[in-house]
Amino acid sequence: MNGSFRLSRLETLIAQDPSLLFTLASYGLIIAMYINLNAFNSSVLGIATSALYFLINGIFLEHAFFEKEATFFRLMFGILLLIMLLGFVGLFTVIIYNLDVIRFTSVLFIATTLSSLLNRRVKNKNAS
Amino acid sequence: MPVSGQELTKFLRTVEILCLLLVVLSFYLLYASRTGEAHTVWEVLHPAFIPMLFVATSLLSAILLTSEKAAYKLLFIIFYSILIHSFFSIIFPAGDMSGQQTILGRTRLVYDNVVLHGWPQWSTIPIQSRVFEWFNGINFQAGLSVVFARMFSIDIFWVHLFLVPVLWGIFIPIAAYLTTKALTQNDKVAVLSSLLISAFPYATYFGAISMPNSLGYIFFFYSLYFALKHLSSNSSRTAYWIVPFSFFALFSHYLTGVMSFSLLFLALAFKSSRSQEKTSSLTGKISLGILFLFCASLLPLSLIYLRFFHSATYTAFTLDKVYELPLQEIVGLFLLGELIYGFDVKTILLIIIGPALALLCMIYQLYRLKRDPHSKFRTHVSFLFVAFLIMLIDYGILKVFMSGLPLNEERLWVFRDLIAAPFVALAIYAVVSSLQAFLKAKSPSTITVSGLKTLSKANVLRVSGLLLTLNVLIPVVLGGWITLSLSAAYPQVAPLQTTWYELEAVKYIAKNTTEKYVVIGDIWTIYAGEMIVGIQNPRAYYFAENDPRGYNLSSRMQSEPSPQIMIEAMNQTGTDTTVAYFIVTEPRLGAEEFKNIVSKARETLTVFHVTGAGKLYVFSYRKG
Repeated sequence: MNGSFRLSRLETLIAQDPSLLFTLASYGLIIAMYINLNAFNSSVLGIATSALYFLINGIFLEHAFFEKEATFFRLMFGILLLIMLLGFVGLFTVIIYNLDVIRFTSVLFIATTLSSLLNRRVKNKNAS
Repeated sequence: MPVSGQELTKFLRTVEILCLLLVVLSFYLLYASRTGEAHTVWEVLHPAFIPMLFVATSLLSAILLTSEKAAYKLLFIIFYSILIHSFFSIIFPAGDMSGQQTILGRTRLVYDNVVLHGWPQWSTIPIQSRVFEWFNGINFQAGLSVVFARMFSIDIFWVHLFLVPVLWGIFIPIAAYLTTKALTQNDKVAVLSSLLISAFPYATYFGAISMPNSLGYIFFFYSLYFALKHLSSNSSRTAYWIVPFSFFALFSHYLTGVMSFSLLFLALAFKSSRSQEKTSSLTGKISLGILFLFCASLLPLSLIYLRFFHSATYTAFTLDKVYELPLQEIVGLFLLGELIYGFDVKTILLIIIGPALALLCMIYQLYRLKRDPHSKFRTHVSFLFVAFLIMLIDYGILKVFMSGLPLNEERLWVFRDLIAAPFVALAIYAVVSSLQAFLKAKSPSTITVSGLKTLSKANVLRVSGLLLTLNVLIPVVLGGWITLSLSAAYPQVAPLQTTWYELEAVKYIAKNTTEKYVVIGDIWTIYAGEMIVGIQNPRAYYFAENDPRGYNLSSRMQSEPSPQIMIEAMNQTGTDTTVAYFIVTEPRLGAEEFKNIVSKARETLTVFHVTGAGKLYVFSYRKG
């Protein structure tokens, strides 16, 4: 009960994205992943940053599309949509040229920007 | 002494912790079973694993029948599902020896930036073929795996091996839950269905191998859920969700894409026929019949027209089997497919029991709902029944009336299983709830010990028997069924899987060669090679598994190893390759033949590396 309440609060906070704080945090995570790939190659760092990336952008997407579902299913739908988005942008990047580290970083930037825009669109709609 | 709610919760938490502990221990035992040389998972599985898994599954089934929150139950099922789909990836050093290794061979090239514009490396001339190749599933899976590998900073080898087991383990139980919830509006049936999906051997097998087709099944299942949701929704927006999931099923594999689109058309037809019911029932039924024929013929026809996109496809309709085979074999093929050829009765039963139970449940539900024409779920059951029939009919058509198919017809059984799972859960839950109702009617105070004291001796026995059936026997039967079905899901007989020393040899060559090189070896060497350096990599060339040149060079080297064949191999790579390697492995050839080849090769070639305690030799030859 308490855990679910906390998750719900965190979800609301991220979905509100005050002053684009979480969008910027997501960009920061992408930069961290880029640095990790070029300098440290640490799986621990990679998994930690990816988990946060999935959480933020998953919540953006679930808020944009599945507001009416229960918390757990909302979050899972958000993560599934993010995986689909990453796969889709990744596929087009592969077709257009390749998926080297720079283009991989662009895939993440595109996914975050789209997720954040979709989230803001719903936020503005709800506000008006 | 009444059992308080708090005590019950305490007991439930204890059972949950025990179940979680058993799942964690099962993961450990699976890891402890990891081996470098095996044919099947059963050969090396820790003896305590199956009993432990059985207890864990039984406890999980018991938890599902309690009033615990659905999200918590699903979390347990997700852990469990990942466990039972990870056998290949955890036990074998390079996963299951199958198509997944060839997919990694192509994905590796994208990961190492060896190919531009995706797979295939060569440009196909007709534009429609090129577009088909771009969106044929390998590139989608490669894109996804490479993005994950770079995000996690883990080698593509591991990401690829665990991609489908993890995604399947997480998203298929959720999809099963949502689909069943949309059908029944009952949480307990829905969670039961998300566990029971593991009792279908074909679904378990495809969830354990990282293939584009397996990814496609995940998207197909979500499009099925949205199709059901669309049927009960007044908003047209729900239909929009079927489209992206169908497209992703198509990006993953054309089979799952075509089936998703057939169900999309079917759902739209059902929805419109429901609105037409008020005006003209005959028109609605006729249009539904036509749509049924259209949806059922979509897959066979699409396979025929695949040649328009993919030149190496020779699929055609044929009556050869009808003329050649006896009637009982044709009927057997239509209904049971490959199962009629040499499968043991236990395996056949494990494969067909779920779908058969689901079919009976569907027919019963349709009969029951016929008397209640205003039931909300009548359309849902009818829709799923028709979808189930489409899968069966399509399977029969592909099996009996078509030849030269680019895929194994049994892949259709996964669709059948995904549709069947909610009905199997419904049937089992009906048994459980009727037992509960009977128990309540016989003794409203069974939950209390003092309540039992007030009953007569005969009634105490009856009530205790029912309680035992409800709380012990049903979970044990479910646990036994799911655990047993794993024996049909994971093959009992298989060739020797990629061994640790084959992988080690391939890695050793890659690490210790600075020039461009080519490797000659049997198909097993090629599988190992493509997992580490990719297929037809110009820097480290392994012939594709279906390339007759590679097969030809390997068999010639095995009969008469010589530098001339090595030079020929270098010239066939199409680049300035200067080193050639020849790999021979003892278990693949037999001791006698292996010894013979090694002694002959020693005369003209240099021994580059010996590994696996002398079971594998790498010979080299350098140009000039």
